[in-house]
Amino acid sequence: MIGLVEELVLLAIEDDGAIAHTAGSVGFGMSLIGAALVELSNRGRIDADLDSLRVMSREPTDHPVLDRVLQLLVIEETLTVEQWVLRLASETPELVRLALKSLVGRGVLEQTESRFLWVLRSRRYPVIDGREQKEAKLRILSTLLGEDLPTPHDTVLLGLARAGGLLEAFLTSAEIARLEGRMEQVSGIDLFVRGVESAIREDQVERARAMMLPMY
Amino acid sequence: MTEAALKTLIEITAGVTLAVPVGRLDFEASTGFQQAIEQAIAGAGASAVVVDCAQLEYVSSAGLRVFLIGARAAKQANVRFSVCGLVEAVRRVFVVSGFDKLIVEHPDRAAALAALQ
Repeated sequence: MIGLVEELVLLAIEDDGAIAHTAGSVGFGMSLIGAALVELSNRGRIDADLDSLRVMSREPTDHPVLDRVLQLLVIEETLTVEQWVLRLASETPELVRLALKSLVGRGVLEQTESRFLWVLRSRRYPVIDGREQKEAKLRILSTLLGEDLPTPHDTVLLGLARAGGLLEAFLTSAEIARLEGRMEQVSGIDLFVRGVESAIREDQVERARAMMLPMY
Repeated sequence: MTEAALKTLIEITAGVTLAVPVGRLDFEASTGFQQAIEQAIAGAGASAVVVDCAQLEYVSSAGLRVFLIGARAAKQANVRFSVCGLVEAVRRVFVVSGFDKLIVEHPDRAAALAALQ
């Protein structure tokens, strides 16, 4: 069984093994950090409320991404989940690399390399049998199309996939629009996901503000 | 030995099971609270469970998850599930997380019981 971090990374792998362009977005990176925080919370390493994130145990989890994030949660001041997500955003490439390595190590993905225009190296991660990727998509679809209340795992997976722009990989814009009402109700019922969403909004505001600054 | 941060009292009134958490619901308290809620839902003849939160001072992310687990288990068991008496700090967590959109909330115990009659 794979965890939330790997599920999100798998959702960003396209049919040909290429990593979707969304995986390079700030939203995806922050969602991945959110997934790691939720898993650390599930394992009793951290807990959070609206005002702060608290580290309860520094015992390693034996999961490379979670342990890297836990190591970075150095409490020198009280920060909210949103502030931690913003602070850790620069770590995304390393976290993605660790997650891909873990998935390759577990036989879920394989790593292939090829040359593009004979010079540029291109790395792909074809999915080996696709079961885990299909399961992640099915969990999201059954949450969206069903009438039951979601499990904590499924509401978080949907919320983070939505925040990270990953739904577009397997749902059309019309389907997303049609499911918007249900999505609003059952997506991301979790304080870590809300922290990720706030961090993404804050980042967008900062970028917009930077673009408005005079050039001279 | 330190005293538990949360105690959950169970009362049965007019065929309704009331779960009354008293204290702080964080990660450490979440397992015990989950067991209490699951027992309340599974209790013989329970057709409705009301979580009276008037004495719940604090809920963390881990605690909030137990409410979702409880609401889901109740729906699957065909048991009506609601909360009442949320103090402001707890209510803020319910609203920010979006949990308030999934669950029936009453201002107090009397209103919750009246709604079930």
